[in-house]
Amino acid sequence: MTASPTQPAGAHADGAMQVVMIGLGEEKFALDAGLVREIIDPVPETKVAGAKAYVPSLINVRGNVIPLADLRIRFGMPPTEHSVDSRIVVIEVMLDGEPVLVGVTADKVYEVTEISQTDVQQTPRVGMHWKPEFIRFITKWREEFVIVPNMERILN
Amino acid sequence: MNSVDPVEVFRQEASELFETLEGALLDLCQRPDDRELIDAAFRALHTIKGSGAMFGFDKVAAFTHEFETAFELIRRGEVKPTQELISVGLAAKDYIRALIHAPETVDSIIGDAILDELKQLVAPGIPAFESSPDRPGAVPSEHHAAGWLLQLEFDAQILRNGSNPLDMLEDLAKLGPCFAVPITTDIPLLDALEPEDCYLKWEVTLSSDCDKAAIEDVFMFVLDEMKLGITPLARVELPEFAPLLQEADSEPPPSATVPVSAAPDAAAAERPALPAEPRREEPKRNEERGIATVRVQAERLDELMDRVGELVIAQARLSQLAATGSDLSIKLIAEEIERLAASLRDTTMGARMVPIGSLFGRFRRLVHDLSRELAKPVEFVTTGEDTELDKTMIECLADPLVHLIRNAIDHGIEDAGRRAAAGKPAQGRIELSAVHAGAQVLVTVSDNGGGLDTRRIRAKAEEQGLVAPGAALTDHEIHQLLFHPGFSTAQTVSALSGRGVGMDVVKKTIENMRGSIDLITRPGEGTTVTLRLPLTLAIIEGLLIRVGAGRYIIPLSAVEECVELTAADQRSRGRSFLNVRGGLVPFLRLREVLQMDGAAEEHQKTIIISTGETCVGLVADQIIGNHQTVIKSLSKLHSDVTIFSGATILGDGTAALILDVGQLVALAQSQAEKLQMNEAA
Repeated sequence: MTASPTQPAGAHADGAMQVVMIGLGEEKFALDAGLVREIIDPVPETKVAGAKAYVPSLINVRGNVIPLADLRIRFGMPPTEHSVDSRIVVIEVMLDGEPVLVGVTADKVYEVTEISQTDVQQTPRVGMHWKPEFIRFITKWREEFVIVPNMERILN
Repeated sequence: MNSVDPVEVFRQEASELFETLEGALLDLCQRPDDRELIDAAFRALHTIKGSGAMFGFDKVAAFTHEFETAFELIRRGEVKPTQELISVGLAAKDYIRALIHAPETVDSIIGDAILDELKQLVAPGIPAFESSPDRPGAVPSEHHAAGWLLQLEFDAQILRNGSNPLDMLEDLAKLGPCFAVPITTDIPLLDALEPEDCYLKWEVTLSSDCDKAAIEDVFMFVLDEMKLGITPLARVELPEFAPLLQEADSEPPPSATVPVSAAPDAAAAERPALPAEPRREEPKRNEERGIATVRVQAERLDELMDRVGELVIAQARLSQLAATGSDLSIKLIAEEIERLAASLRDTTMGARMVPIGSLFGRFRRLVHDLSRELAKPVEFVTTGEDTELDKTMIECLADPLVHLIRNAIDHGIEDAGRRAAAGKPAQGRIELSAVHAGAQVLVTVSDNGGGLDTRRIRAKAEEQGLVAPGAALTDHEIHQLLFHPGFSTAQTVSALSGRGVGMDVVKKTIENMRGSIDLITRPGEGTTVTLRLPLTLAIIEGLLIRVGAGRYIIPLSAVEECVELTAADQRSRGRSFLNVRGGLVPFLRLREVLQMDGAAEEHQKTIIISTGETCVGLVADQIIGNHQTVIKSLSKLHSDVTIFSGATILGDGTAALILDVGQLVALAQSQAEKLQMNEAA
């Protein structure tokens, strides 16, 4: 499967999109299912001195050493401790034209579900302290607002 | 398993043949009388032609054939391989390579020009090849002949190669009505008859308005094992029973069959199983060759190396588990697996090793061309061709060596006038050598030219603002300026070098391979550049250390010694120098470099690492021990982190970072300089 920014692999013609719903702090994020490779339990992290704050460490995922990204830093949320619900979602994103595996920490993984792109809310310009370029769009799922993040932008 | 594209196989095979051909041609420059070399070049050409035709590279086959025909004269000793001839030969080789690799970009005019030049150079020999089929223009009106008279004379060995002249006669018959008369005069008496030889010749009258190429196509695969005389006929008179031959299309022409079958019949009387014999020999020979070498795709070797890397990691975990447990039988198995994994690792690494000679060969052409272009006669000597290096490293080494050799010829070797003035022989000398030294390979490029002009480098560096005027610099430091991006001392920019890109690229490439560069120069005597390279890129011996809660790997090849940090050293804040046997060694507290919180532990250890001349101490909390390190590169997201060169996976499954020795040394030096400046101020 390939994921291009214009035509996400999880998108259907009718605007429905397969996503993996994760929770981070108070917010819910919907990760395009086409990007997700696997979901694993937390593993020991290795801190990388001098690395960018949002990719602070490395993990070993079955013999591959991959960076672990923390979306909370990019969205200005306070760090939280690991809980029994904590998971690592391994996604594959294109960086400079090359596929790169990245782990993303999640406080909780809810389910694989479909969201409708017809419910897309205009990303508000005011009243939001997040950088608009990190967000592909905001939509509604079970009467809650969920953020569909732009992973390429967040990680670049 | 993906199927192998035969055309790709041919391309690969051809590139090897080109190397052989080029090598032989260049050697001929030095030893023009060496029969072996001429034969080697001829064999390479011949194989390129044969396989080219087989895989449908008709242009390649046709051009190579012409080239080969000219070369035949050299082989027969009728023409001397002069320098000019060899240069044209090299150009022809490049042309064939282009025909194979990028046929759409090739203009056939170039090929014609090369052939014309080739023919002119060998011209005096041409008459010796009277009935040659490959002299276009020998018979002007050939294209509109009513028929052809063909003289077929095959080599005696032709049957052994699996070719059957009768099949070719049948193919000829498909072009038009023909009449073949066998000439039996050469058949010896039964005693002297060699049953596998072909003694027959044929004279064929072909009634067809086909062109000459169509006839040559019939004999395409055997043109070198026969003499083919083609004479156009204005009028064709086939004898009366010619139509009969046509009717008996499926059967070979009777007049031709009888004498031919006489030979196998005679043989059959002596050795019944004979006709099958050549065919049985063929696979046997292939089998023998198969044992010697197997061609494996490079990606498969890479994959194998990856798997072995994973195995080594899994084995380390098993060993750790076994060591903590008390089950003896598990310990036994863990040890057994450790031994097997280690030998598998060595074998796999060995399979990736390629002799560096394959790389050296390429530069002979470079030197040959450059020395002609710059009119500086240069003797090129290579030693240690069979030194083996990881294949990835050989590929990475090509560009840096091109730069170094170009520099040596362009800047290093003086022009004839200055060489004479200095009392040196007119011919310059460039030596390229490779040698194993412990866990490293040293590749050296040395010239006997004028050496580096330290004063000019300095002046240029001051002019470009790289160093402050009048700053105290050792010669070594001045020479290091050569590796600075954009630095060039060449007064004029030539097509070859002097643009100031090059040396910095060389340095970067070598450092990316975890190697280093030494430069030694003696005024008036020449310059020697030594590249120190690790044996492999995939697995290294590392020293596992602990700093705070984190574990890190230092490449063992860089470690000089480990010493205890004395209480006095540990307390000192202002200075960061160690006294090691009277010498001052700057040291870095890894705790600070790696941004560890908390106070340092007692009994700190110092690992002294070195890159060439500079030693630096690294202060760690604990030295754990040796570790087989499978190197995993860091992802793009961490490309901004310079103090780590990669990561690996430890026995317990966690990732550990590998410290970049070069970067740490540079960091320590800049810190030490800052400190000195502060003290001075």
